[in-house]
Amino acid sequence: MQPRTKGLVAAVTGAALGVTGLALVAMPAGADDAPNLPEISAQELVSSTLQADPPAFAGSVAVHNDLGLPSGVPGMDFADFDSARVFHDGDDGFRVSVQDGNAEYTLVANGDEAWAYNSSDNTATRFAAPDGDKTREQERAKGHHKGQRPEEMADPATAAQEIVQRLSETSTITVDGTARVADRAAYELVLTPKPSERTVLREVKVAIDSQTRLPLRLEVMANGTPEPIFSLGFDEFSVGEQPERLFDFTPPKGVKIEDATDKARERAEQAPAQGEKDAAERFGESLQVVGEGWDTVVTGAAGEELLSARPQMQDGERGMSERDKQSAKDLLERYGKRVSGEFGSGYVITTKAGSGLITDDGRFAVGAVPVQVLEQALTK
Amino acid sequence: MTATTWEDAPAVTTRRHRAPLARLLSSELRWIFRRPRTLVVLALLAIFPVIIGISVQLGTDGQPETSGDAPLFVSAITNALALPLGSLMMLLGLFLPLAVAMAGADAIAGEQSVGALRGWLLAPVVRGRLLGVKVFGVAVVAVVSAGLVALTGLVTGLIINGTDGLFTLSGTELSLVDALGRIGLAVAWVALQLLAVGAVALAISTTTEHPMLVVAMVLGGLIVSQVLGLFDALSWLHPFLLPDPWVSALPDLLRDPIAYDTLGEGALRAVSYLVIALSLAYARIVTRDG
Repeated sequence: MQPRTKGLVAAVTGAALGVTGLALVAMPAGADDAPNLPEISAQELVSSTLQADPPAFAGSVAVHNDLGLPSGVPGMDFADFDSARVFHDGDDGFRVSVQDGNAEYTLVANGDEAWAYNSSDNTATRFAAPDGDKTREQERAKGHHKGQRPEEMADPATAAQEIVQRLSETSTITVDGTARVADRAAYELVLTPKPSERTVLREVKVAIDSQTRLPLRLEVMANGTPEPIFSLGFDEFSVGEQPERLFDFTPPKGVKIEDATDKARERAEQAPAQGEKDAAERFGESLQVVGEGWDTVVTGAAGEELLSARPQMQDGERGMSERDKQSAKDLLERYGKRVSGEFGSGYVITTKAGSGLITDDGRFAVGAVPVQVLEQALTK
Repeated sequence: MTATTWEDAPAVTTRRHRAPLARLLSSELRWIFRRPRTLVVLALLAIFPVIIGISVQLGTDGQPETSGDAPLFVSAITNALALPLGSLMMLLGLFLPLAVAMAGADAIAGEQSVGALRGWLLAPVVRGRLLGVKVFGVAVVAVVSAGLVALTGLVTGLIINGTDGLFTLSGTELSLVDALGRIGLAVAWVALQLLAVGAVALAISTTTEHPMLVVAMVLGGLIVSQVLGLFDALSWLHPFLLPDPWVSALPDLLRDPIAYDTLGEGALRAVSYLVIALSLAYARIVTRDG
């Protein structure tokens, strides 16, 4: 072969191979067509899900949230982890590792005890299951299987009927086709609000695995966006025996060990200041649920002083950022919209998943509903 | 280069015999490891983990730091496993690629600029074989530099803390053998990434006589890729960027069980880059005049 042809052949084949490899990496997995599954009614699907006994499996879970929450507000990053891995031994043991950047939060449970380990502060927390053995023995004596609670849950068919009935007062429940989640065939159970419901949500979809009948994915859709505003689901899922050692935890040397029950006791002993107690009581008592179904609104009174309170600097805590020093009112002014009406006046924050309203005198209302519904709830 | 090309050379000699491969490889290694710049870069690479280990130990007085920006190093003070991996992770950003880019630049462009490639005329070698020997040289530099960082990191960690507290981000304790296995895996993975960088350097190297140009282009490309990787709007492009998994993959080796997803993807990407770069380098080297 001439050097020129040889070179050309090498360049073209090599480049083609390499680009194919890169494309393989870039391609999103599991973008297959919806699988063909036998027809099933919503009630049957719910009933078989309730009956399902989770097998031993390993999987990884991803969260996507596009709720449209104002960014930069403290405390809003709760669902903001990279991914999590889940292992289940088909019995009492499970292990969840939540990955957050270079840190990891691990939860290990095996029937007798549970441990949580946080790598960012190198602390292991022990949760003792005080009567774990006893209750399990009792359950066994009664002949209950796992996944079934006594009384009304004893018969999954009845329970499913009840659940479906209760939900269908406010929503339409359908099995809307199939989907492929984590490369597994799944049914899509869809909850759609009845037209009379005043909500900003369009539907809630739960993908249920056709074989194990485990829920594999939860998606919340809102009006006006084709993509789910929130989705939590497996992106990898495989059924199979898991190594025993995954469900045991022995804190290594050099790790701070805390006991959850001790900690709770300590907290109880440190009686809160009288003022705090009052505020907490008032807050708890004032919570009210207005409406039902999809347009449920939670209202309450937080007290006027909470709005203007600024976070106090702790001793020895240096360099609080400007953001932390802002009072709740400053934040509301920045992210909220000023509204007024029969209920008084205040600020409203709207997200894709709902809205919240807080009045100047400290009353508030939150729900997955348009603002008008919140205003009505506060007027009542 | 004169009109006498490597390809013509065998015809001129009366008895055609091929130079033994082992001799070619060993002379290539001698060339590389006798260059003062190679030794200086390797020495700096070797010292880096020691500096990190000592400064973390002194800076925190042996107490875990609770509000650091680098959670990987929070456990490094008690952990001879995290120090080598953390050092590899930090150096993979720029310094380790610099070492292989220099080797790749010197291998062809550098030798050509000083006329050293003419020596290959005397030991008749076909051009494909020439490239093979050069790739071997770059691969050795990749393995040695990654291995050196891991080794000094491991030794520093063992000296500071002994074999105590070899535990993962998931809070499981590892035996020394298991920890060594994970470090070995990290070295192999990093060496593969470096080899991909080195292959790109070789490909550029075949097109120019200026080694500085090669180093500048490789490092410039890396920096551009890393900057592009910061923009969420370009997320469709990220799977095509070689350095995309460099920060996130190595901590996965500290998890229990190891999460192989990112590591596997990164390896496949590096192999793809390697294949593209080497085939282009081969095409260029066989068609090049003189």
